[in-house]
Amino acid sequence: MAAIELKGVSKKYRRHIERPLATTLKSYFLRDLWHRRDDSKDVIWALHNVDFKVGQGTTVGIIGRNGSGKSTLLKLISRILKPDVGTVTVHGKVAALLELGAGFHPELTGRENVIINGIILGLTKSEIKSKLDEIIDFAELREYIDDPIRTYSSGMYMRLGFSVAVHIDPEILLIDEVLAVGDAAFTRKCMDRMNHFKKVGKTMVLVTHDLRMVRSWCDEGIWLNRGVVQMQGNPGDVVEAYAKETL
Amino acid sequence: MINRLLQIYRYRALIQILIIRELKARYRGTFLGFLWSFVNPLVLMAIYVLVFSIYLRMDMENYPVFLLCGILPWAWFSSGLSEATLSIIGNGSLIKKVYLPSEIFPLVSIGSNMVHYLLSIPILLIFIVSFGMEPSWPLLLLPLIFLIQFVFTYSLALILSSLAVQFRDLLHIVPNFLMIWFFLTPIFYPMTLVPEKYRALVDFNPMAQLIMAYQDIFFYNRIPSIPGLAVLTGLSCVLLVIGFSLFEARKDLFAEEV
Repeated sequence: MAAIELKGVSKKYRRHIERPLATTLKSYFLRDLWHRRDDSKDVIWALHNVDFKVGQGTTVGIIGRNGSGKSTLLKLISRILKPDVGTVTVHGKVAALLELGAGFHPELTGRENVIINGIILGLTKSEIKSKLDEIIDFAELREYIDDPIRTYSSGMYMRLGFSVAVHIDPEILLIDEVLAVGDAAFTRKCMDRMNHFKKVGKTMVLVTHDLRMVRSWCDEGIWLNRGVVQMQGNPGDVVEAYAKETL
Repeated sequence: MINRLLQIYRYRALIQILIIRELKARYRGTFLGFLWSFVNPLVLMAIYVLVFSIYLRMDMENYPVFLLCGILPWAWFSSGLSEATLSIIGNGSLIKKVYLPSEIFPLVSIGSNMVHYLLSIPILLIFIVSFGMEPSWPLLLLPLIFLIQFVFTYSLALILSSLAVQFRDLLHIVPNFLMIWFFLTPIFYPMTLVPEKYRALVDFNPMAQLIMAYQDIFFYNRIPSIPGLAVLTGLSCVLLVIGFSLFEARKDLFAEEV
């Protein structure tokens, strides 16, 4: 059984071109209500007819230029967005790491924010409390954990967010270019953690611009180009084709 | 509808932590802490006492207590509703990045303001007693009135917060509308001062019914109008169904539009 399956998935975005009175109640009643506007020039297909399967325990790397629909894809898998056409099926608990430190509040302490962030990402209160020490040590922030996080450097902030993220224990992990945080030593620790996930058979979908990582670390590569799957298969081949086309 | 409520129940830990976050963040680092939420109603009260009890000489016994009985629940209603109207837009960064049922965000706004109100009730009671009044068993109806106000406010919050995503005008309309509503509700004047031919403004004003119920139990020490409360309960339930379905119809757009 596939962990993730997309069938004929399309997603469109409406453009918001600033017109006089364009988004007001008045225009809604005067114009949009009677002439439902859905001009093709106002619509962008962020993804068009995307089909693919991710098997359980597979690591998939998604590459493509900016605006090719990579993040939209992750948002569809994590149910943040609904497809306009097609179906997305997911088996297993998903954690989407689209942003580190979701829900962090600058006035609150690191410790308080870890608890908030953990619950937002789907842990129960007792789960997060039992992992609290581990999370703090992983982030190497024991000394500052009771300071408000507005006093943190951006590196510390990211480390804390990442540390919570890798301690939620989902079956499927969606990662959007958040790996590059902290210094070299911390990055290594993160990689160790990711390798561990891979070893214990978690399904991972990774959006990244780090082509070397896709080649060496993923089981499969997908190249998205303007919302269409341009190529899919052996990560080495996909990366090579992508590099040839774009560089 | 039942599903929606179950969904909210499943996310109760998150709702709780977001309310706590809201409260902690608001008062962290301030000297008076939560007491600040009581200062605003007190200032309002002082102004009205000055204007209506000293300047205009409205003859009413224990007028400051009367004022406070109405101002406190109104503050819950109006701050809750204006914060809730902004709640979907304001939590946009979260809605875009994490899968969460968005109906919890207006709930958190209403909930955190409810906590303020709850915390101010002991102070209100001290106030009442210090004026030599003795509230008694009608106070037992407080939880019921409380619940009705909660459902009523949350229903409006669902409607306004979901509409505000597309019609940002609401962010400007709602505060003005609330101000008009405040003056039309018998908070700083008793209902008996409203001329007969304008009574409809009170009779058909759900908040007037609610505030009067609070005044009944805290100030007049009597049972509020039961038919009034029954109508209000019915209205709140209907509004809740409308609110949930309107919200449901629009929520798929939130992650794109906020």
